[in-house]
Amino acid sequence: MDENTSGWHEFSKGFIIENPLMVLMVGLCATLAVSNRMENGIFLGLAATFVLVCSNVIISSIRGFIPDQIRIPIFIVIIASFVTIVDLSMKAYFPAAYATLGVWIPLIVVNCIILARAEGFAYKNTVWHSFLDGLGMGAGYIGVLLIMGFIRELLGTGKIVLFDKTIISLGPFNPPSIFILFPGAFLTFGCLLALLNRYKMRKSNE
Amino acid sequence: MSEPYRYFLIFLGALLIYNILLIRFIALCPLIGVSTQVETSIGMAMSVLFVMTMASAASWVAWNYVLKPLGVGEFLYIPVFILIIASLVQFTEMVIKKVSPPLYRAMGIYLPLITTNCAVLAAATESVKPGFLKLNVAYHFSLPECLVYTIGVALGFGVVIIIFACIRERLETSPVPHTFKGAPIAFIIAALLSLAFMGFANLLGL
Repeated sequence: MDENTSGWHEFSKGFIIENPLMVLMVGLCATLAVSNRMENGIFLGLAATFVLVCSNVIISSIRGFIPDQIRIPIFIVIIASFVTIVDLSMKAYFPAAYATLGVWIPLIVVNCIILARAEGFAYKNTVWHSFLDGLGMGAGYIGVLLIMGFIRELLGTGKIVLFDKTIISLGPFNPPSIFILFPGAFLTFGCLLALLNRYKMRKSNE
Repeated sequence: MSEPYRYFLIFLGALLIYNILLIRFIALCPLIGVSTQVETSIGMAMSVLFVMTMASAASWVAWNYVLKPLGVGEFLYIPVFILIIASLVQFTEMVIKKVSPPLYRAMGIYLPLITTNCAVLAAATESVKPGFLKLNVAYHFSLPECLVYTIGVALGFGVVIIIFACIRERLETSPVPHTFKGAPIAFIIAALLSLAFMGFANLLGL
């Protein structure tokens, strides 16, 4: 495999084959909690992708110097520094979004996706591939957040509002608000997983 | 509001009304990953209770006696709290291994997992740093209040994970549609449980 195709592979595997949420089932908590509106999903997804890409790059570039025994604390400190950057900048520039996301921003530190990629990928691969991996995983993460947010907001409130603009409206109907409440998150995600299972079974039957 | 009643409200709020798993979606990874057997769930619940209480207490001390007086809390709290938790987990593991080998065998495998359990960081952040708590009782907790809150959160985690494991054990033998086998049906069950816990909302005006 030459350099270009493997680079594309590192980037694209995050979408479906190794999608962090749907296939690896890590980092579920934040996804379910903030996906009641599409806008929240965009903010949290971008924040997590930023942390993921930066920590992947830093960790893979200093992987030669990290002693094996204490690598986990080192990873965590690196990740925590980037999360602090996000935490403070978001508080300063997007106070409204920060207020709704609340504790989920500091909790990016313990988002399993980031530590899993640091330990499972960035620690063993080149800087360029780790960068692509972070970007691809981030994209897969944002993708699921958007799908979940779309379904839940559309069904739960009857319309999609992005940055104070109504984009889609279902017209006059009484929306089942269960979808933007807590059980809706579990329900939507369970059904999405079942859909993916079905898709996989079809593929393996062919 | 009398003092014992306040403690009671904090405890009940953390345990049921803002249940960490079903209402706030924190720490879902162990809920889906570990809760396949009742026995392992009990082990996990005990370890979380232990580590979480110690972590919150240590974070409270660090915040009130070190970070706040030095004025560095705003941008150092994430790395400091996560390092406290990680080292506490390591320390606990060593002590238990030395003092009580049977307990270590029962709890051992869960302890490292707890470091990246977002519930511990969430409980520590919320009960220590002002501004994250959703509970309608106080802006800032004293040390005993912080402990009561954390124990409530940990017990809430334990209750739900054990109920969940019981249901999943029964599920093994029940006819589940093919596409829903495994994780998807677990999420549907979580949705139903969450619906039940929503019944506690607004209890006692919290």
